[in-house]
Amino acid sequence: MYRPDPSPGRARLDLLDPMEVSKLGGLEIITEGVVEGFLSGLHRSPRRGFSAEFAEHRMYQPGDDLRYVDWKILGRNDWLYVKQFEEETNLRAVIVCDTSRSMAWTGSPDTVLPKMDYARRLIAALALVLIRQRDATGLITFDDDVRTVTPPRARLSHWRQLLGVLGSLEAGQGTAAEPALRRVIGQLRRRGLVVFVSDLLLDRTLALKALRFLRHRGHQVLVIHIMDPAEVALTGPNEARFEDPETHAAVVLRPRDWAGAYRDTVRAVVSEWRLACRRHGIAYHRATTDTPFGVVLREALSPPSRST
Amino acid sequence: MIGFLHPWVLAGLAAAAVPILLHLLARREPPTVVFPAVRYLVTTTREHQRRLKLQHWLLLLVRTLLIAAVVIAAAGPTVPMRGLPGHVPSALVLIVDNSPSSGAVVGGTPQVKRLVAAAKQVLDRATPEDALWLVTADGIPRRGDRGLLGELLDSLKISPRRLELGNAITLAGEVLATERRAGEIVLLTDLQASALSPAQPAAPLLVGRPEVEAPGNTGIGAIETGAQPWSAEGGRVAITLVGDSGNAVPVSAHLGTRPARQALGRVDGTVNLIIPGSPSGWWTLTAELDPDELRLDDLRVAAVRVAPVARVRWDSTSRYVAAASEVLAANRRIVRGPDVTVGRLGGGTSVVQPPADPAEVGALNRALAARGVGWSYGNLSMETGFSDSGSVVGRQRVLRRYQLQSTGSGRTGVLAMVNGSPWIVRGGNVVLLGSRLDPSWTDLPVSAGFMPFMDVLLNRLARGEVALDHGAPGDPVTLPDLVTEVRQGERVWGVEGGGIFQPGETGVYYLLAGHDTVGAISVNSDPRESRLARASDAQARQLWKGARVLPLPQTADLAFSSTSRGDLRGPLLWMALLVGMVEVGMASGWRRRP
Repeated sequence: MYRPDPSPGRARLDLLDPMEVSKLGGLEIITEGVVEGFLSGLHRSPRRGFSAEFAEHRMYQPGDDLRYVDWKILGRNDWLYVKQFEEETNLRAVIVCDTSRSMAWTGSPDTVLPKMDYARRLIAALALVLIRQRDATGLITFDDDVRTVTPPRARLSHWRQLLGVLGSLEAGQGTAAEPALRRVIGQLRRRGLVVFVSDLLLDRTLALKALRFLRHRGHQVLVIHIMDPAEVALTGPNEARFEDPETHAAVVLRPRDWAGAYRDTVRAVVSEWRLACRRHGIAYHRATTDTPFGVVLREALSPPSRST
Repeated sequence: MIGFLHPWVLAGLAAAAVPILLHLLARREPPTVVFPAVRYLVTTTREHQRRLKLQHWLLLLVRTLLIAAVVIAAAGPTVPMRGLPGHVPSALVLIVDNSPSSGAVVGGTPQVKRLVAAAKQVLDRATPEDALWLVTADGIPRRGDRGLLGELLDSLKISPRRLELGNAITLAGEVLATERRAGEIVLLTDLQASALSPAQPAAPLLVGRPEVEAPGNTGIGAIETGAQPWSAEGGRVAITLVGDSGNAVPVSAHLGTRPARQALGRVDGTVNLIIPGSPSGWWTLTAELDPDELRLDDLRVAAVRVAPVARVRWDSTSRYVAAASEVLAANRRIVRGPDVTVGRLGGGTSVVQPPADPAEVGALNRALAARGVGWSYGNLSMETGFSDSGSVVGRQRVLRRYQLQSTGSGRTGVLAMVNGSPWIVRGGNVVLLGSRLDPSWTDLPVSAGFMPFMDVLLNRLARGEVALDHGAPGDPVTLPDLVTEVRQGERVWGVEGGGIFQPGETGVYYLLAGHDTVGAISVNSDPRESRLARASDAQARQLWKGARVLPLPQTADLAFSSTSRGDLRGPLLWMALLVGMVEVGMASGWRRRP
């Protein structure tokens, strides 16, 4: 049974700056802290995890649905507990993580995590939340090809296995999302959840086609668009030659001359992704790498109607 | 044409290249930045690249323009702009036509006074920074400030010299060529039609002419005194009247202080007067008209020599000499007598021609030497040549001649030359001819000029009188070899024979060789000055391209107007400010949103 740390005044890691959080310890400890903070801050329990078959009790937390308060214990001992139930059929989730070279980039190495490190921590937290709900969670990583495939499991030990995979991730070369997304089909026999974590610097048409295909197979699809703050607002020297680390395409320009137009372009790109995803029932969330993990988790795990 | 007060500042225009250089330098190898979202940049620039490139070039142009405008403004640009009250430091040549015609009195005032008044008004517009010259009829450009030239104008008198306006304009252009400042020529003249001559003004030309029309005038254009010397019986004078008046006017002429003879004459007509005899000597013949609007041409002088005709003994064996002498004797230009021997060396004054037999040359030379004549006959030359076209013989072909050799120092006494060698010379009272007066030696005996030549030879050259010339003030006159002194009244000029003499005033100038008067120059004003008719403004403008011809009172107002230049510094600085604001607006606006 999960017991949250009741010590008052302790900082909630899920709301701290990701860079600061990453300095506090290893991936496992950090992730547990983030998830603990995240869960303790929820006003409502996740939409999954309260199934018909009783499993155990846990202490009531503000925001828990009063339907699940065990009134008998309250009447007997005056303790406020809620009942938790075992789902008859657990959710199966597969997280697809982009490990291309562009994901290894950060605009400010001293203050902002590289996108891949951010994604690593975010995926670990997400997987822990899911596994704690008894949801089987798998992981597929890819760059220009599929690199690792970890089938979904619901045990806590499986989460540590996922941590091992995440910890050993290295930036690859290019980006080819479609094969990785198609590999999901083999991992999810039934309807499940697909979380696609990427900077989306890829072939949008192919990626959307694959995501749409997953959606047609009945899976819930969630796209988390990771962006570095420096990719949102163009900065740099007076004039520079900007080079793509994957394709080595280059553009020479003055950032100060182009900042406005670039900002508009990024807005347009994000808007196009959001519209395309919404059109096909795909949840889309944009997260910059300076956004606290808890914020992203909350948005990502909220009901689709509230997604932004 | 644009000018600059500080042209050296224009070197700063090189700074206008700074934006271009910065642009080019800034384009070299910018630092490479790894940036995954290059695809977004590509999308962004693809839409705006052309516009941004245009903006960059516009910005570059604006910045270059800004620097250029500031530098040019610092150089003090000026442009010609008429109608402005001031002018930039300029060079101005003021030509005041004080030629004889400007002495015409119109409305009670001599024209020259009007010209001087207008000239002083022009000078009043000058500033201390201006370079000023004054050119008058004497043709000498005088430089000075406003005060000095004003004093010169105050003392300006009518010059006896003629002023060719075209020459004066050309001279003014040459004067201005020495000056770096913008120049202008102001010509103040009575615009006498006969004084106009073509010229290409080297600077803007402003011509001021009197408003009033020139009056009709009659003047004495020439005096013809006929063959000289006159005999004691007197002589005949032909006086030619010139001008543009139709009235008959009385003409009088007198020799020295003797009573005058009068007759009526008209313009372009000739009045013949018989002047009674006078004692031998040099006389000044004066012809006069009654006073009219132009006084300077109402009097004309000529030198007259009065002497008994030569008493000549001629050799009848020399056919042509004898024939000519007979004719002269028949016309009373000579009489038979012992004073002058023609053809051979006599005891007194002789005109010697070389002997027909070369064997006699040696004896002749010895006789000449014994007489102290400083010339002798040399070798016989068969080379065909021509005599110089002087007043003595004119241009004659010479087939054979003896070379005349000077046995003394120098070559004084040369009266005529052939191919640069002496042909007729005088030594003491002997005149030596290089050729015999025979058609096999020279064409002279069979030419029309032979009789006048014999007259001059016997009556003047043999007597040592060599020249009677005439001219206008300022005209150069080549003096005969013998002349050592020129005298006019009490004024005496020591001269060198063969040199140039320029008489400055009208009058008779006598030429002296030692104590003997050997000739005279009659100097009178140019007869063309008597025609006062004015040229039209259109004629002046046609001859002098670009000239502005105005009445005198308006001249001063427009003087320096061609050098009146608008100062462009203000407009340029305003333009620079405007361009700077545009630059700021463009740069900041485009930076916010390319």
